[in-house]
Amino acid sequence: MSSLAVRKTAPAAGTTPGTAQGPPLCRRIALVPTLTLLLGAIYCLLPVAWVLIAATKSGSELFSTFTFFPGTGFADNVSDLNAYRDGVYWKWMGNSALYAGVGALLSTAVSAVSGYALAIYRFRGRETIFNVLMAGVLMPPVILAIPQYLLMAKADLADSYWSVLLPLILSPYGVYLSRIYAAAAVPTDVVEAGRIDGASEWRIFTRVALPMMVPGLVTVFLFQFVAVWNNFLLPYIMLSDDEKFPITLGLFTLLEQGSNTPALYTLVITGALLAVIPLIALFLVIQRFWSLDLLSGAVKS
Amino acid sequence: MPSITRHRRFMATAVAVTLGATTLAACGGSDDDSEAQSGPAKLTYWTWTPGMDKVVDLWNEGPGKEQQITVTVKKQASGDTLVTKILTAHKAGKGPDLVQAEYQALPTLVSNDAVADIAEEAGDAKSKFADGVWQQTTLGSDAVYAIPQDIGPMMFYYREDLFEKYGLTVPKTWDEFAETARKLKKEDPDVDLTTFSANDSGLFAGLAQQAGAQWWTTEGQKWKVGIDDAATRKVADFWGGLVKEGAVDNQPMYTPAWNKALNTGKQIAWVSAVWAPGTLTTAAPDTKGKWKVAPLPQWSSSENTTGSWGGSSTAVTTDSDNKGAAAKFAAWLNTDPDALTALAKEGGIYPAATTAQTSDAFAEPPAFFSNQADFYTTASEIAKTTAPSAWGPNVNVAYTTFKDAFGAAAKNKSDFGDALKTMQDDTVADMKKQGFEVAE
Amino acid sequence: MTTARRKSYGVKGAPYAFLFPATILFALFFALPIGYAVWLSLHKVQVKGLGLGSGARSEVWAGFENYTDALTDSELLAGTLRVLGYGAIVVPLMLGLALVFALMLDSDKVRLAPFTRLAIFLPYAIPGVVAALLWGFLYLPDVSPFYFVLEKLGLPQPDLLDGGGLYAALSNIAVWGGTGFNMIVIYTSLRAIPVEVYEAAKLDGATPLQIALKIKIPMVAPSLVLTFFFSIIATLQVFSEPTTLKPLTNSVSTTWSPLMKVYRDAFGEGDIYSAAAGAVIIAVATLILSFGFLRAANSRNKQEAAR
Repeated sequence: MSSLAVRKTAPAAGTTPGTAQGPPLCRRIALVPTLTLLLGAIYCLLPVAWVLIAATKSGSELFSTFTFFPGTGFADNVSDLNAYRDGVYWKWMGNSALYAGVGALLSTAVSAVSGYALAIYRFRGRETIFNVLMAGVLMPPVILAIPQYLLMAKADLADSYWSVLLPLILSPYGVYLSRIYAAAAVPTDVVEAGRIDGASEWRIFTRVALPMMVPGLVTVFLFQFVAVWNNFLLPYIMLSDDEKFPITLGLFTLLEQGSNTPALYTLVITGALLAVIPLIALFLVIQRFWSLDLLSGAVKS
Repeated sequence: MPSITRHRRFMATAVAVTLGATTLAACGGSDDDSEAQSGPAKLTYWTWTPGMDKVVDLWNEGPGKEQQITVTVKKQASGDTLVTKILTAHKAGKGPDLVQAEYQALPTLVSNDAVADIAEEAGDAKSKFADGVWQQTTLGSDAVYAIPQDIGPMMFYYREDLFEKYGLTVPKTWDEFAETARKLKKEDPDVDLTTFSANDSGLFAGLAQQAGAQWWTTEGQKWKVGIDDAATRKVADFWGGLVKEGAVDNQPMYTPAWNKALNTGKQIAWVSAVWAPGTLTTAAPDTKGKWKVAPLPQWSSSENTTGSWGGSSTAVTTDSDNKGAAAKFAAWLNTDPDALTALAKEGGIYPAATTAQTSDAFAEPPAFFSNQADFYTTASEIAKTTAPSAWGPNVNVAYTTFKDAFGAAAKNKSDFGDALKTMQDDTVADMKKQGFEVAE
Repeated sequence: MTTARRKSYGVKGAPYAFLFPATILFALFFALPIGYAVWLSLHKVQVKGLGLGSGARSEVWAGFENYTDALTDSELLAGTLRVLGYGAIVVPLMLGLALVFALMLDSDKVRLAPFTRLAIFLPYAIPGVVAALLWGFLYLPDVSPFYFVLEKLGLPQPDLLDGGGLYAALSNIAVWGGTGFNMIVIYTSLRAIPVEVYEAAKLDGATPLQIALKIKIPMVAPSLVLTFFFSIIATLQVFSEPTTLKPLTNSVSTTWSPLMKVYRDAFGEGDIYSAAAGAVIIAVATLILSFGFLRAANSRNKQEAAR
């Protein structure tokens, strides 16, 4: 077993040291943790609040009013953004959702199956394969984008949806994370039991191991989704057709229109703010899966 | 022969300023790739100009329809990285048919064989442009690598009300400019005349150009790099001196703090170019109607020249299968009165074509300068005095070196001459590394 | 165990089959481009004469010229030192905070956990396109509300965009953006620990702090190793934080960090060959440091496991 693995028994039903489910009857609140977390939240939210406040400002208010003083232009900003080039912003939003949604889904699938294999099986070349996959993060993405473009161009895939999707499917980070989670969440005796029952390896993975890995996999999905959503350089190099642009790239073209025209700062800020909303929604959906209680039923059956 | 008819028409309209007129304008340039033009052509165009899709619609529904040449706009972000993107696409043979390119990027693109010589198809457009502008697209050769689109003649912007308040007069020479800066410091130590910003190399290049600098010239088959020539050194020492004595600020432009300084009157002048109203609208909204424009200060009172900062052109790529068609579109876009009017209205550009600078589109001043009725007349007068520029094949290297060397010098208030030397040495070293012949 | 033996062939082949998609993707989108980048790093462009017109430019073999150029450039060493200084602040601070937050989220009777969890994660979701504007508004003294408050209180106003202040400013951006991400990694690991593991300790009267130190932290050690591993890489390849501050100040040069120099070579100066050589050097340095760390961490884990 990998040294990284954490031995444990099957996740059992029962009260987890719940946070979200904290029963109201508990007499006291853990004061220190709650306060520390609140401080952390304030620290993290202050700059985010700037985005929120700046999005309410009209173009003339943005640079002329006090930084943390809300403006009056939010509705106008949204409608301007909506009207910009016949609503191309929403097209970018849709593209981002496609790149991030499909990309993260495929990426999570590849990470899950690879991480599981690396955590559960002992086989020749395991550490080598793992290390080689990890070596993928060594080369800075900045320099990989150009060769990746030339490669895509050779395959006649440049400036296509595939050119942005394919290079992002394999995420060394996701593989590593999945390996850790598989090692921690999938006990070997469960796998052995499956084998004794005569189940195929694939069936053991999909029916037994995968449900156990869900809390970790949703994390992988979340990270990969956000990473693709905010990716800039790869689509910048790959895409020339602005109808295929993701939001990051689209907003960048709003910012860099040449010196003749006023930069559309307020549209960019509003656009960036609206682009965060789907990510928040995703986070809220996903955090439910971090609780093992939800899944214990699936594991037992 | 629809293409010939078309060609005739754009020549004619540019002269007669009436659409649809057919005159006897000579038809230059035979169509050497006529096989590509016999069928319908679909062209792609990388541009960052806002509203370009609307201008292109005019073409697609008018002359383009007649000649079966359809152009599709693929909007890009402007900036130095676009050159890399174009070159990367060119490396893969996947470049678009047409690209928008800043003048100083053209030699780099030509040197990489990314843009095509369209002298045959579009050479006749020369008469529509000032010589100094046109020369930037030929690189001093017989070839034509692009059609000029917009230009950025440099001008001096100042707050009329605050100049009055502090008892300042508009400087006619750079000496007066320095005196004005010092006088202002005495009047109010918290206020700066302007800032020396190291984050836009184009400004410094334009100032050097005004002083008569020729950064890249050719001697036979050799390049000569004159970045630290006497003219540029004069400019560098001048600004270095002002920064050192604290007469002007040393912080970069285009930051929220800079915007605020302009908006609240902490900086009361800006050495900029004709496009400044667009920037000021964003940066200093509260100062609308308080600015005025004047010619750039001169190095001696007898002179009357300016530099240029910004401006771009339309080039046809070597990857294009329809170079002839693309060249026709490029020429139409930048010389046809209707196209130029639409470009001014939708894209906010200041046209390179001289007749367009005084067209109806520029009868009114920009909204931000409603107080100065003669804004565009002044601008077109100043544009005529633009000194020729001399770009070379590694402007990008000189520009990045400028940012680092002058950024550090401005921060430390150290000698700008040393920074200039670094810029010269690094540029020459890069050219030699690439194998260019460089004359010492 | 006849069943198991019968299946052994399938078991043997299974991991390879499971790793097949990752391997193919790696070969296509990592190995091939990396190989091409290495090839580029050994070449350079050769121009003839004025270098204008077609055929004036060709790609020629350069040997290790690009490497010697990069290694003898004093900016590389200076940039590396800057980056190490920056990493010395960021890595312990960010991972320390991430661990503390994750443990607290996982502790009993903590309130507002879903809200704080989202809040701390949110910076990771803010796109870089607005980052320069955002930090401009918060760091530049003339527009920053914090300077406004400091001024009103008559407190000293530090210069965040020069000298030591610059490191604080950069680190703050990184800590702000990265803590939530690492917190979620550790937190997810904590959630995978079954409750029985520390139920017994609790019955023995262990305090939450003892449980955290003695049980939780050792159990999430693999996740900590992972976050360290990737943080080291992120530090050595730091790019976005200084690039964000670059337009705001003269103190950040285009070669402030080694990767910024690579980016400048490729995208500013169009010299993909030097950029590739720089990237390979960074990759090798990253390899030595990060994998060295991984190895050390693993062998320590093994020792502990053996004990």
